[in-house]
Amino acid sequence: MSDSAAHAGPHRLTPWLATLAAYIVPLGFVLAPMALFLVYSFFSVDHGSIVFSPTISNYVRFFTDPVFLPIFWRTCLLCLAVALLCVLFAFPVAYFLTTLRGRSRYMLLVLLLVPLLMSYVIKIYAVRSILGGNGMLNRALLATGLIDKPSMLFVFNLNAVLLTLTVLLIPFAVLPIFLSLERIPKALRHASADLGATNAQTFWRVTVPLSLPGTLSAMSFVFVLAIGDFLTPQMVGGQSGFTFGRIIYSQFGTAFNWPFGAALSVILAAVVILAIRLGGRLESKHGGAK
Amino acid sequence: MKSLKAALGAAALAAGLWVSAASAETLRVLAWEGYADPDWVKDFTKETGIDVDVVFVGSDDEIWAKIKGSEGKDFDVMAVNTAQLQRYIDADLVKPWDLSKIPNQKQVLPRFQDLSKITGVTRDGKAYGIPFCFDSIGLIYDTDKVKPAPTSMSVLWDPQYAGKVLAYDNGEHNFSFTALTLGIANPFQLSADQFTAVKAKLLELKPNVLSFYTTADEALQIYQNNDVALIWANYGQQQLKAMQKAGAHVAYIAPTEGSLSWLDNWALTSGAKDPDAAAKWVNFLLDKKIGAQLSERTGFGNTAAASSNANDSDKLVWLESVEDPLKRSDLWNEIKASQ
Repeated sequence: MSDSAAHAGPHRLTPWLATLAAYIVPLGFVLAPMALFLVYSFFSVDHGSIVFSPTISNYVRFFTDPVFLPIFWRTCLLCLAVALLCVLFAFPVAYFLTTLRGRSRYMLLVLLLVPLLMSYVIKIYAVRSILGGNGMLNRALLATGLIDKPSMLFVFNLNAVLLTLTVLLIPFAVLPIFLSLERIPKALRHASADLGATNAQTFWRVTVPLSLPGTLSAMSFVFVLAIGDFLTPQMVGGQSGFTFGRIIYSQFGTAFNWPFGAALSVILAAVVILAIRLGGRLESKHGGAK
Repeated sequence: MKSLKAALGAAALAAGLWVSAASAETLRVLAWEGYADPDWVKDFTKETGIDVDVVFVGSDDEIWAKIKGSEGKDFDVMAVNTAQLQRYIDADLVKPWDLSKIPNQKQVLPRFQDLSKITGVTRDGKAYGIPFCFDSIGLIYDTDKVKPAPTSMSVLWDPQYAGKVLAYDNGEHNFSFTALTLGIANPFQLSADQFTAVKAKLLELKPNVLSFYTTADEALQIYQNNDVALIWANYGQQQLKAMQKAGAHVAYIAPTEGSLSWLDNWALTSGAKDPDAAAKWVNFLLDKKIGAQLSERTGFGNTAAASSNANDSDKLVWLESVEDPLKRSDLWNEIKASQ
């Protein structure tokens, strides 16, 4: 009796251990810190030290203070614009990739992803020396005689943030779009052609709708990455580049108001989760058949 | 045989170590990098016979953790700035100096001779800090673009330099320097009315600002790629020298209304084993030659010998802790958020 129990032990334990191992990473390193943020967001700060009694004052402050909501909407709009631009630029690239065959297709794909290996800060610095008032772009435009004095259109403002984020995040948009385009069976396009559709008709009525799931997840991907960014606005945004990420950053740094920073982070997390759900929902609606 | 020799050697070594530990003539110093260079330590030991153990720190919070953690017993003497010194005095973690043991303090630059005139180093007539190293936060200007040389921070508001100003991204300092520019006597304790006035003034500064920077390297890169005329120089002389080394045509001024300046002092911990040895250390460092070396090696000003960091006539306003850091940070966010 006792023998059989001893034998059964490990067999019964193994799946438990496997489950534990599978859950411990997401639970311990993702869910627990987020729960901690949620808890902290209900505390407050008095004279530089945290008061551990529950209050909703942080959330009240976010919704009533005239500073935060406008910045919040402005940041959401900015990131939506970044997501749209990224998809617009990434789609032709991904489409071109699918027209290539064999090795060259994946060689080019890897080349497109190479920028991701480079430090993000270095890329921002590089963009900044291109965009500056005496930067490469302005000097080139001056040299060609297209403009007669340096253009300030993309120098330390929201345009610069938009452009920089787009450049940094395009690779993240290319990949999902490429994958969804690659999954479209060639036979469908041939069938469309056989039935008398022009290339343009096939593209708009077959390829685009079928690639929608990838395009939408690319958009939500880019949006989520852009909205959490706090460095790019600081580095290229100048005096108007103040975004929601910057406010959160300041709460944890100079302000030393962790509870309020935590509340703002919770709000940001809610937006991010919503964006991902929205992307996922539309995706399953359009691509659910497969 | 061999092992016996080794054992004897080890025993002798251990005995030697024990003797040197027992002599207790080891001064324990907590300092910033550059404040206790090896050659000075060597000369000090040669001159006084006191061994020195130096531990370097990287931040104000680290000093606090080390001193508070041992209630001052782990170190004899430490370097700390005037604003920070206050909380050590409040917590009884430091003791006043016996100035008669530090004769060289009488030979320092005129600005530093009367300790009672330096905000923050004395309390109830007792000297808790001996000034050692400082720098001002002045204005760097492009000598080709700004003529004649400016004299006040008010030049930052000049519409002629719209979009050509680099400001620093820190609410605390920005409120302080703007208060000085507005003629407010104590920029560290602002009243409600003064807050309103300073905030309005800072909002007026925004259109002139190209960007807010955080590190000296970042400011230099922006300067190189853009038309920048004026930089609020948080990193003082070090920042100026780095820019000049990179080939920039720039110069530095300390504004006439007063420039915010930090000042590091030597303080005696409440747990100091031998206050006389600590006094000897400070006295040894308040030397013209060492002062000149300090300035040459770090780019900071010293209190013993004249340096390029400040003329005797420059008005330096020693940094103090501000009335409400959280409020300043919140207001600064509001200023940055406004369009």
